[in-house]
Amino acid sequence: MRLRSKLAIRCAKLTSTLIKKLNRGSGVTLPGYVARLIDPEILSVMSGMVREKTIVTMGTNGKTTTNSILYHALKAEGKTVIINRTGANMLNGIISAFVLATDRKGRLHADYACIEVDEIASVRVLPQLKPDCALLTNISRDQLDRFGEVDITYNKIKTAVLSVPETKLILNCDDILSYTLTQDCKNSYVTYGISEQIFDDISRSEIRESIFCRSCGKKLSYDFFHYGQLGIYHCPNCGLKRPEPDYTAENIVLHDTACPSGKPSDGTMEKGQCTAASAGTTEKEQRAAASASIMEKEQRAAVSAGCATQGSSSAGRPILSDRMYSFTLGGMEIASQARSPYNIYNTLSAYAALCALQAPMKKFKQTIEGFDYGNNRESVFMINGARVQLHLAKNPIGFQQKISLVLKDPDPKDVIIQINDTYQDGEDISWLWDVDFQYLANANAATITTNGTRRHDMGLRLKYEDIPCSSTTDLRKTVEKLIAEGTKNLYVIVNYSGLYRTNHMLTELQSITKGGATS
Amino acid sequence: MKLTIGHLYPDLLNLYGDRGNIQCFRKRLEWRGIEAEVIPFLSGSRTDFSRLDIVLLGGGSDREQELVCRYMKEIKSDFKNYVEDNGVVLAVCGGYQLLGKYYKTDKKMIEGLEILDIYTEWEPERLIRNIILNSPLFSTPIVGFENHGGRTYIGNHTPLGKVFFGLGNTGKSGYEGVVYKNVIATYLHGPLLPKNPQVCDYLLERALKRKYGEEIKLEKLPDKLEQKANNYIVGRYSDKKYVLKETIKRYT
Repeated sequence: MRLRSKLAIRCAKLTSTLIKKLNRGSGVTLPGYVARLIDPEILSVMSGMVREKTIVTMGTNGKTTTNSILYHALKAEGKTVIINRTGANMLNGIISAFVLATDRKGRLHADYACIEVDEIASVRVLPQLKPDCALLTNISRDQLDRFGEVDITYNKIKTAVLSVPETKLILNCDDILSYTLTQDCKNSYVTYGISEQIFDDISRSEIRESIFCRSCGKKLSYDFFHYGQLGIYHCPNCGLKRPEPDYTAENIVLHDTACPSGKPSDGTMEKGQCTAASAGTTEKEQRAAASASIMEKEQRAAVSAGCATQGSSSAGRPILSDRMYSFTLGGMEIASQARSPYNIYNTLSAYAALCALQAPMKKFKQTIEGFDYGNNRESVFMINGARVQLHLAKNPIGFQQKISLVLKDPDPKDVIIQINDTYQDGEDISWLWDVDFQYLANANAATITTNGTRRHDMGLRLKYEDIPCSSTTDLRKTVEKLIAEGTKNLYVIVNYSGLYRTNHMLTELQSITKGGATS
Repeated sequence: MKLTIGHLYPDLLNLYGDRGNIQCFRKRLEWRGIEAEVIPFLSGSRTDFSRLDIVLLGGGSDREQELVCRYMKEIKSDFKNYVEDNGVVLAVCGGYQLLGKYYKTDKKMIEGLEILDIYTEWEPERLIRNIILNSPLFSTPIVGFENHGGRTYIGNHTPLGKVFFGLGNTGKSGYEGVVYKNVIATYLHGPLLPKNPQVCDYLLERALKRKYGEEIKLEKLPDKLEQKANNYIVGRYSDKKYVLKETIKRYT
């Protein structure tokens, strides 16, 4: 190794130690900056030391989860894997991940590197990292004030990919924007996609990013939408169409956690067959069920499962959001812990990447079935007998999914929504108006409280759907009050900058009250 | 009473929560017992301006604006007549640019509707931040968020307001937007109307007057939450320390 690189590594580690000693944050970006100051080519040097393969994950939604699945799947095969920490997905954070993983002599011992890369940073990261494969989850509307427009995001990714012609692309072909990369770049690629309709009407919302043909500009025709602009599309004018994916997930069924045997033999029940015979079925549920076949599958599953579940609420009712998905990947039947259809995509994309790299996959099924998709982003706490769920929703598509999740729970509930507008969150909060909040009117919410720097904007969003709400500046107090006097079923939805603090606060409250112990 | 609101090309021009402006028009009419009808005109469909009392032209990406341009040619003269006949228009961001003569991007020349004697030229550095205007039309400041690569030169037109914080039409002129007859054209989204109910009511009053001929004073609504949201941004950027902090953050 060059002396310069060695020095860079040494100084970066020293910086990291110093930061920790001084208790000045987690120290995930500054060491990378220091290393780069000393040796601008440090990332190339480091990535060259990875013994087998380097995978980067990019895209608007699902990066962190997908990257984490890749990491765990490879670790389960006995591989040494480097991963960058959540949020440290810009150039300096990525360099830190590599540099801090070296031994005392500055050597890297890693078979694989799984690196999550921010779309803006990708332009500088990819040419240095020269990954073996680049996985793209999807390209949609996110933090528009940073990216300007979704086309700018696309162009960033395109520029990044063009700089690494040897890198194999793993693309979501249900996403017309992602798929367009195959026309603009000469890289080899494999595609993944889902051909069944797995999202319900509520989670689909109306945000359509790119329903116009990228090659001829005419309006695309869709058989159906998954969510956003993702779906089964074709152009009636020039013939461009969604290809048959190389990798797909099939037989997707949402079923009760306690009764895996209760899942229907196949997911092919026809629309309109649902009898909604479950004892817990409300009129609202029936309405929702009539709207999409996936809901029927869920109810069927619940009926045949007998509705006896673990993790049920104190009254012994099943909590619908505790239902999890099972699906088939390349002949492998997987009973996952995924609660949202999003995570099927994330699992599928990781599967496609591993297959494309010909990585060992003997323990893949086992890894996925034990994989906790929560990732701090959807955590469940039991505080004084109340069930508190923490969810991250940082862009319209993510938020829409959370609303769909809240609606699947028929029990009375309290909802807190925290909206901040730091640089990390995105300073522009107009995306709140791209979310279909009107559904919350039917969410059986006893109270809705807004919090965060832009709580009044959130309040206005609800006001203009005629949904009453109040606001608070003291989140902890509100949570404590709702736990004591509320429905015992609390949803806390936050955007990025509030996640860690809120998670910390809820963890603390849980440990003080020792979980479910009643006073 | 009833107002009909035409949303032009929501399939192409629907960036940055434009739906919020439609929702604001609709609700503030309904809350006062006035009927509101919203007609979305998808690209390719015929737009009948004689039916409309308010037109919303929203924002889109440069690529989408180019596509819109094709459909614009068909409605150019109808739209111009509507404006000259005191038709109410709210044009935001991309819609603002399209009302002018042209928008010259780094690659292409997008022809505009030529309703306003203004033009826009693209520059690589995007103007992105919260923005506050003081407008002689209103006693309350107008707050919003701007995010545009284009610099709009408004010639002899009257601007919507003077920039108190933010960048505005060109980043240098100190002014933002254009007011012409019953047209308000601006870069402010956020969306514009919910946090600025004074602007919403101004446009509604104009539309009602045009349709029903008499001076109509709109009933006051309880706008406490609207004021809080508006005040929050004004308060934040009136604080010199905060502005300094944000400026330092932006450039490091």
